[in-house]
Amino acid sequence: MNQELKVQAWVDGELDADQAERVGEWVANDAAAGALAAELRGVKAAMAGAELARKAPVSPEFYWSQVQRQIQAEAALARPKTSRWMARWRRFFMPVAGLAVACCVVLLSVELSAGVSRPDVVSSSNEGMDTMMFHDQSSGLTVVWLQDKSAQSDASSASDNDNSIDTD
Amino acid sequence: MRFFLRFAVVCLTCFAAWPALASDLKLEARLIWGVNDSQAAQHKPVAPDLASKLQRVFKWSNYYDITNQIHSIPVNESRDFRMSERCVLKIKNLGDSRIEVNCIGKGKEVSRGTHTLAPSQWVILAGNDKNNTAWFIGLREVDAGLADSK
Repeated sequence: MNQELKVQAWVDGELDADQAERVGEWVANDAAAGALAAELRGVKAAMAGAELARKAPVSPEFYWSQVQRQIQAEAALARPKTSRWMARWRRFFMPVAGLAVACCVVLLSVELSAGVSRPDVVSSSNEGMDTMMFHDQSSGLTVVWLQDKSAQSDASSASDNDNSIDTD
Repeated sequence: MRFFLRFAVVCLTCFAAWPALASDLKLEARLIWGVNDSQAAQHKPVAPDLASKLQRVFKWSNYYDITNQIHSIPVNESRDFRMSERCVLKIKNLGDSRIEVNCIGKGKEVSRGTHTLAPSQWVILAGNDKNNTAWFIGLREVDAGLADSK
């Protein structure tokens, strides 16, 4: 930018603070620059309010885009009356639905984990019988062994114990 | 948003219908005789896979099929499995592959227990029999194709 344009920009207030300070000092110290600045200020004062108002030509694209924007704005204003009720309903239903889904997940997981953790239970209903339960992981057998107490006390009489269920 | 609402409705419906979706339990009960010699040659030997499992756990070397019963049990209902003249099992389907087994010998309740049936696993009720032999009742869940009682 040459010096004259800098002075003009300074007079018009278009420079940043740093540049404006430097140009201001130069105008104050240099007689020629000071004279130029004074002349430009005079011209600016004389021209103030004397500029002709000119209207920029409007392109067809810009015109139709304005029409489209207007239509969209009116459509947006017309819509809320029907959707307001729905919006309120959604606002109510969304947390309820979320809560329902969360409950489903929790209850299902509880149900599944309960199924896994419920242990096998065996009790003897007959006073003369003992029960013993064990699980053999390698063979995949859960065994409930029913032992006649009388046979236990007299192992030698195993052949006559009452534990038989008639396999013959 | 619509998807979310539909998903929630489907979840609620499924959860409400969960108990109704529980299907019948097809249960097989086998009475097996365990011996150490070939004294039960007139009976059919147990399938090799089950025999090897029993041999791994028990002292008897030979196992013979005496009775084989398969019944379908609806949820919360019981079925009687007559294993021999003296022994009847009253088995109730508790749902989720859980069963309650009531073993009745000579008309008296001998034992009562609840068990969870796992795929390819057996629940065995067993005890000593005459002449150093043993009886075994094997219970397992079977495929739908085997549901008819043999």
